[in-house]
Amino acid sequence: MTNITLTVNGKSVSRDIPDETLLSEFLREHLRLTGTHVGCDTSQCGACVVHVDGKAAKSCTTLAVALDGAQVTTIEGLANGDLHPMQEAFTEHHGLQCGFCTPGMIMASVDIVNRYKAEGRTLTEKAIRHELEGNICRCTGYHNIVKAVESAAAKM
Amino acid sequence: MSVARSLPHDAAALHVTGTARYVDDIPAPAGCLHLAFGLSNIAHGTLTALDLSAVRATPGVVAVFGPDDLSPMPDCSPSAHDEPLLGGPAISYLGQPIFLVVADSHLAARKAARLGQASYDEKPALLTIDAALAANSRFEDGPRIWEKGDAASAIAAAPHVVEGVMEIGGQEHFYLEGQAALALPQEGGDMVVQSSTQHPTEIQHKVADALGVPMHAVRVETRRMGGGFGGKESQGNALAIACALAARATGRPCKMRYDRDDDMVITGKRHDFSIAYRAGFDDEGRVAGVEFVQYARCGWAQDLSLPVADRAMLHADNAYELPTARIESHRLKTHTQSATAFRGFGGPQGMVGIERVMDHIAHHLGQDPLAVRRRNFYASGGDISAKKKAAGTTPYGMAVEDFELHEMVAALEGSSDYAARRAAVADWNAANPVLKKGLALTPVKFGISFTLTHLNQAGALVHVYQDGSIHLNHGGTEMGQGLFQKVAQVAASSFGVPMAAVKITATDTGKVPNTSATAASSGSDLNGMAVKVACDTIRDRIAAHLAETHQTVPRRVHFADGRVFVGDADLSFAEAARSAYEARISLSATGFYKTPKLDWDRIAGRGRPFFYFAYGAAVTEVVLDTLTGENRMLRCDILHDAGASLNPALDIGQVEGGFVQGAGWLTTEELVWDDSGRLRTHAPSTYKIPACSDRPAVFNVALWDGENSEETIYRSKAVGEPPLILGISALMALSDAVAACGAPYPALDAPATPERLLAAIDRVRA
Amino acid sequence: MTLYRPDSLDSALSLLGKGGMTVLAGGTDVYPGLRDGAPPAHLLDISGIAGLRGIARAGGQWRIGAATTWTDVIRADLPPLFDGLKLAAREVGSVQIQNSGTVAGNLCNASPAADGVPVLMALDALVEVQGPGGSRQVPLTDFIAGPRAVALDPGELVTAVLIPDGPGQGAFLKLGARRYLVISIAMVGAVIATRSGRIDRARVAVGSCGPVARRLTGVETALTGAAPGDVARLVAAADLPELAPIDDVRATATYRNDAARTLIARAILMAMEAPHVA
Repeated sequence: MTNITLTVNGKSVSRDIPDETLLSEFLREHLRLTGTHVGCDTSQCGACVVHVDGKAAKSCTTLAVALDGAQVTTIEGLANGDLHPMQEAFTEHHGLQCGFCTPGMIMASVDIVNRYKAEGRTLTEKAIRHELEGNICRCTGYHNIVKAVESAAAKM
Repeated sequence: MSVARSLPHDAAALHVTGTARYVDDIPAPAGCLHLAFGLSNIAHGTLTALDLSAVRATPGVVAVFGPDDLSPMPDCSPSAHDEPLLGGPAISYLGQPIFLVVADSHLAARKAARLGQASYDEKPALLTIDAALAANSRFEDGPRIWEKGDAASAIAAAPHVVEGVMEIGGQEHFYLEGQAALALPQEGGDMVVQSSTQHPTEIQHKVADALGVPMHAVRVETRRMGGGFGGKESQGNALAIACALAARATGRPCKMRYDRDDDMVITGKRHDFSIAYRAGFDDEGRVAGVEFVQYARCGWAQDLSLPVADRAMLHADNAYELPTARIESHRLKTHTQSATAFRGFGGPQGMVGIERVMDHIAHHLGQDPLAVRRRNFYASGGDISAKKKAAGTTPYGMAVEDFELHEMVAALEGSSDYAARRAAVADWNAANPVLKKGLALTPVKFGISFTLTHLNQAGALVHVYQDGSIHLNHGGTEMGQGLFQKVAQVAASSFGVPMAAVKITATDTGKVPNTSATAASSGSDLNGMAVKVACDTIRDRIAAHLAETHQTVPRRVHFADGRVFVGDADLSFAEAARSAYEARISLSATGFYKTPKLDWDRIAGRGRPFFYFAYGAAVTEVVLDTLTGENRMLRCDILHDAGASLNPALDIGQVEGGFVQGAGWLTTEELVWDDSGRLRTHAPSTYKIPACSDRPAVFNVALWDGENSEETIYRSKAVGEPPLILGISALMALSDAVAACGAPYPALDAPATPERLLAAIDRVRA
Repeated sequence: MTLYRPDSLDSALSLLGKGGMTVLAGGTDVYPGLRDGAPPAHLLDISGIAGLRGIARAGGQWRIGAATTWTDVIRADLPPLFDGLKLAAREVGSVQIQNSGTVAGNLCNASPAADGVPVLMALDALVEVQGPGGSRQVPLTDFIAGPRAVALDPGELVTAVLIPDGPGQGAFLKLGARRYLVISIAMVGAVIATRSGRIDRARVAVGSCGPVARRLTGVETALTGAAPGDVARLVAAADLPELAPIDDVRATATYRNDAARTLIARAILMAMEAPHVA
């Protein structure tokens, strides 16, 4: 057991947890933030993506104790009063069906747009496709997801 | 009107904020226990000993159940009572649950489940179609055979004949949310089950059976699934039963979810098929007769294999009028996962068979496959109604009266620039020795209705509260397809209220009983109608009441824009509801619907199994690296018929997603079992569903502007399954590209992986 | 399980000396394993050790610190020699995995399908190891002792991957049924130095085609002096005893053998193309 203190969605959280606790488990079981989903348990599907210190990370491939002092943002903490432009775009462009991949997809997409903007790079449709390879969707065929990311990128 | 509008998915706002709850997200009461199955390590044999002492000794483990601990052994089968919850002594496949662990956490249960020590008397396993056929291991006594005319004579008399055998692989559903259930024990031995299922009534039935209680003692609720695709029609039974048994034994809530690897190893998948064909035809490619022998690998239990194999037979014609046909179907029993429902339910496999025949005929004659396909189409519904032509009949004797693929294919041919691209592909292939392009247009005609006729019924329960808000419930389940929103649009249209007035509620066996699975694409057709009946009943009661109080006639009462217009008076819907309540008018109603016109004899293979057909067509262009077999989809154009769509945006989403899923099935998604019967592709690293870059670079999807000729809900058409089959165009485009490498017919099997493509290229180049 | 996160190499080595440690850098291969069986008693996370992350050139040698991630490689300003390594970096898992996974971790995991190995072999990479007996350098071809096995003694830790600087341009190609997120069917790393349009020195390695990645020394010799137009023929004709493809869930040996030859020729030609941005 290790005591960790970290900031989750802007709130300081302190817990005693076993060292082997994965971040996904910590968020879902200990903090009841169930918007972060686990789809494959092996870091392939991307349903569990959250932001750690502002960067996208797969929470099923991150130990919670290693994040002592970190800032974590989950899908539940993305909206700041109003919906984030990415959340709006996924709604508006029908970028979801069953919705299970949606939180990870949105967190990954926000990270992509932020990164490209920070680096002054143009986010092309091709780049979106490449960047989203680590997020699997079984329902939509990705078409509307890419449209949503393109639309949100223009507003972010 | 709220129908025909492109509103977002009903739960979109919840999904994008992470607040939509799946079974594993529902806050469980304190003391909730977690379950995991221990699995067999052999495919066939007898369990001679099972040492569970290490499992029991694992910290956190509360209870362990082996095959001897459950008597009678509960059954999980939706059909033939042949699926014991736990295998043993007979072991029927590798990965079969043989014991159940109940622990205080999910991981503790999973880890303990890996510590069971089983001893077996292992026997040779039947893993393949050939092995099962050789051993005559099958469901039903022998093959089903349906015939139209004398196909053998017609083929013998035809100027040309092609024949061959095609292998068609299975498919893992890969719903992103794995199977899950949560059982909450109630007073008096009752049980409430939250289940990720397409079939709450089946879960209720099987849990009641396992607990030995009447169905009234079990209530099942399903708010949503994270994808289903047929994989949650029967495969959730085991989890729900296990949870209910453990909840009764411990008196505590019990939850179970399969991790991805367990899910892939335990649950059934799409049936893989082998289809042998022989077709006779004239110089123009017009078919005189076809013989198909379809072999379906059904796995260890019957599950839904009979209707799946029936549907493969029912779609052996796809869009083509076969003057004579003989279809023979073998349902083979093997020591593998029990193959189950998967979007299309056997139809896609049957259609791949006839599309292969069309492709082979065109290749044999050196003609454009599209021209050959067209010549074999059924007569146009327009020509039939204008009495220019008689309706063609299917091999099972149903008249095809609504055929519209002549018109749709002509439109798609134009919008996709087919002719010019066909020429461009030929030019490209003449100039490029390594990269070859391929182009194919394939049609879809898919029969809509459950082939088990009694399943074509649905119920709804609607309440209007005195403040004018509406509670909507029906028997359909939401798995992402947008059913709840489409049905809510029907309800809002009926009452003339905004969508916000309608509360969509979880499917609940306590509200609407005896429901059918949300399957066979029938969700909106059946439940939309049932909801409309319920809503119209309440609306007509309100109208009659208001007509009386306003001294007019009910037909002068109109519901629109959240208002009720009574002659010259104008009330809000809430005021109308309150007025009716105060006048002691019932504001609650059930609705019921059963599909008309159905008449089907599956043994004879004669009658009308379908209310109508849904149609679509796709043109796909690919480029193939002929030295490695790697390939890309360059462009896909789709025209799909959703009738008068209830929600065009949701329907287009079904078409796009269905196509990509179908193309994945026939190209990259390969299931591999080793010689011991172990599924080796049980993770996304080895089983490759399409990823974001796999969809075509250009993807144009449109809905056909038409309406259902049958009286369906607002003249819409079912759209769940048919688009998957548009993916055949990707396979046929690859076949076209391989054909550019040499003279012989490519005879490409599915999935057309790079390896199979390279082998096919080698064959045609030899 | 206890997680240790030392911030200095000395404390890491002293922890390692106690035994029973599983070392992790990015953890992308370690974490999925936590789901089955008992977790390792002690996990040593080296990602916080000062000076272990980053790429630098000194004394005719490039040094990639053991905690350097694939994303670090992609973003680093490196000469064309590293074009292949950059391409390989983009093929590792997905972007999020590239953010966590490390070059050294990929080597230590020693999967037959590790993306980084063939291209680093072609670069004549050395593995820098520190332990109780001090520091030593091991050629990568010796370091990878077999599938999932590396030449590390108890108490030793990989601290860097060292690559001799020199002329040449790198390339990397990977074959899989799907473009990304794929454990590959075959892959090739090549580094080619040319003079007047002809091959001066070829270094080529294949991965995923046998239990361990291998340098193709016969082909390398045969290619010396070759022009681009000769490459396909020379590769097709070459005796490739190093290619010992295995039948497995991802492909049959026959397909691997065929496809690998195509891939080898293409990677070599790619490494001879005019310099491009990887």
